[in-house]
Amino acid sequence: MISSHLTSFAGAPVVPFDPGMALPEELPPVAWRLEIEDFDAEPEVFADLVAAFRHEVPAESVRALVIGEWGAAYESALPVGLLVEAATEWTDLRHLFLADLIGEQCEISWITHDDITGILRAYPQLETLWVRGGNELRMEPVRHEGLRELVIQTGGLPGHVSRAVAASDLPHLHRLDLWLGQSDYGGDTTPADLADLLAGDRVPALRHLAICNAENADDIARVVADAPVVAQLETLDLSKGVLTDTGGEALLAGRPLTHLSRLDLSHHFLSEECAARVVAALPTVEVDVTDPQEVHVYGDRQYRFTAVGE
Amino acid sequence: MQLTVVGNPENRRVTLFTDAVRASGLPTPTILAWADLLTGAAGPPGPDATVRIDSPGENPLVDRLLRRAATPARHGELLGLSDTYAGLVDGVARVADGGADLLNDPTEVAVLCDKRRCHARLAAAGVPVPPALGPIHGYDQLRAAMDQARWRRVFVKPAHGSSAAGVIALTVGPHRIQAVTPIEVAPDGLFNSLRVRRYDDEATVAALVDRLAPEGLHVERWLPKVGLADRVVDLRVVVVAGRPTHVVVRAARGPLTNLHLGNARGDLAELRAAAGPTAWAAAMQTCEQVAGCFPGSLHVGVDLMFLVGWRRHAVAEVNAFGDLLPGVRTDGRDTYAEQVHALTTGRWSRWRTAAGRPEAAGDGCRPEAAGDVCRAKAAGDLGGRTGSTSEREVAGCAV
Repeated sequence: MISSHLTSFAGAPVVPFDPGMALPEELPPVAWRLEIEDFDAEPEVFADLVAAFRHEVPAESVRALVIGEWGAAYESALPVGLLVEAATEWTDLRHLFLADLIGEQCEISWITHDDITGILRAYPQLETLWVRGGNELRMEPVRHEGLRELVIQTGGLPGHVSRAVAASDLPHLHRLDLWLGQSDYGGDTTPADLADLLAGDRVPALRHLAICNAENADDIARVVADAPVVAQLETLDLSKGVLTDTGGEALLAGRPLTHLSRLDLSHHFLSEECAARVVAALPTVEVDVTDPQEVHVYGDRQYRFTAVGE
Repeated sequence: MQLTVVGNPENRRVTLFTDAVRASGLPTPTILAWADLLTGAAGPPGPDATVRIDSPGENPLVDRLLRRAATPARHGELLGLSDTYAGLVDGVARVADGGADLLNDPTEVAVLCDKRRCHARLAAAGVPVPPALGPIHGYDQLRAAMDQARWRRVFVKPAHGSSAAGVIALTVGPHRIQAVTPIEVAPDGLFNSLRVRRYDDEATVAALVDRLAPEGLHVERWLPKVGLADRVVDLRVVVVAGRPTHVVVRAARGPLTNLHLGNARGDLAELRAAAGPTAWAAAMQTCEQVAGCFPGSLHVGVDLMFLVGWRRHAVAEVNAFGDLLPGVRTDGRDTYAEQVHALTTGRWSRWRTAAGRPEAAGDGCRPEAAGDVCRAKAAGDLGGRTGSTSEREVAGCAV
């Protein structure tokens, strides 16, 4: 579970916007946080906050935005339209986090989204896009020249979103994180959904790839082990998931990983022997096999959990 | 001063308090076992005694006697909470019958151990508490009341539970439901466990609520608590004679922060830094206000949560027997030594007189100005200045 808000985003401190707050003449770089206090409020309350923000805060100081609670996030989609409408003013917006909500506000698999394609189209200069939550999340394949960093954290990532990301042309994308999650929470991404991505052609600048928090981490490891894109990576992150010896063996048998600077397998279900073999096989790579997990047995059933669920 | 402790003699609460009394130079307290009191084997302490009443918990025989049951409960079984409460209220009244000076006012114990009455008293005094639903008698009615209030997340608490026993953190959405609770649903009963579980099928959740409801429920809106790093955090604040003296941060991986549920103590300095001095001072003022609602109790244990954004806080629970914080010391004193200190310095009797005065208790607590002065003095104490304590207290707190 994610329990605390970001205190900085894209290198700038996060500052909550309060209508009527005193603003200094010279604003230092900040990431503005837009969040309403009444977590069950009607949509107008958040719309009013955005309107006040547009009215009071100079557009040129809007370089990074963090969206918090917008009201009933467990059933009402984040109103991306309000952000799209402001695109003509917020021409300097480079970094955007949709839904920095913690479990006490709305657990990750309940956070409800809309189609985020409009954001990418309205903000061609956007460099960083983080999205938390996969409930009703949609996206169409795009070509986006600006994006350097795309992070989608979910308790269950729909396969159609994964396919749209994989089919997008993102020539400058440097970092991509996809949290696949669990089928119980709408996560039905399969290795086939990621095929275009793993070929690497559409993401030539990609250096940091995370396909993590995955219930089907073994299946993912199997295809990643043979993926052309791995050759261009500096870091590979298959952490937070249900990676067992099956996946560990696949990594050992696959394409070389010796060029990586870091391989993150933390929160895993590998045996000690298998984890040690992976570490031994990659002496020049920083291999993280911390946080080994135990199988939970309830009655006659066994459960293996991803790090972030619900 | 001859102290008597009503408690379970084998329990470390009794041992720790006894140790603190001895260390202060006072005579060793007399121990009156709950079991002896409840069976009638021993009578109440006489009018010369000063009596601390401690928790009757963690003793199967005492549990059975409180419930007036023929058979003991199975380990952890959630059984007869309202009977246990009735037995406690009777037992405390029996202690009072001897005319002793009590450090736990019997009527206040009765309020503190009923979450509905405690919430009502705090709300009436203007203490920030989560809003609550009216009486809830079953699952269907709960859902209807939640719909009417337009709440999607609530804490369902047995009116007489302690230590998260039987508590359910409930979320309902358009197509889903989730209950986070330490309750284990077994074919032959409900058991309170040390492990938090999640139930996401409505039939199970409904059955759970329906089985708990006859014992009395208190349902509050679930207000989002702040977090530090990967943990949800809140505070247990022990307030002794009106002054918040001992604090622990409870850091959890989920909504239930009670330390016995596998949660850890968090970093108080980190929390205070995150809250900032203004929010921290306001929270401590609220704790003083809570104590002012219970002027006949030498201590109360306040569970205080900061809400997301750190700007607001609310009181989640107040505990009559909430002073078991082993190893936490302020000015070299643990919570027990602090209470003995308040007794021997006269701070307790002065505060009790002041806090219990009708004109001072108009809103259930002391006047603002006096509260401010006391807070400044408390800050001085935290700074380690221990000389001439009693004079400063007389000057500062004798309102």
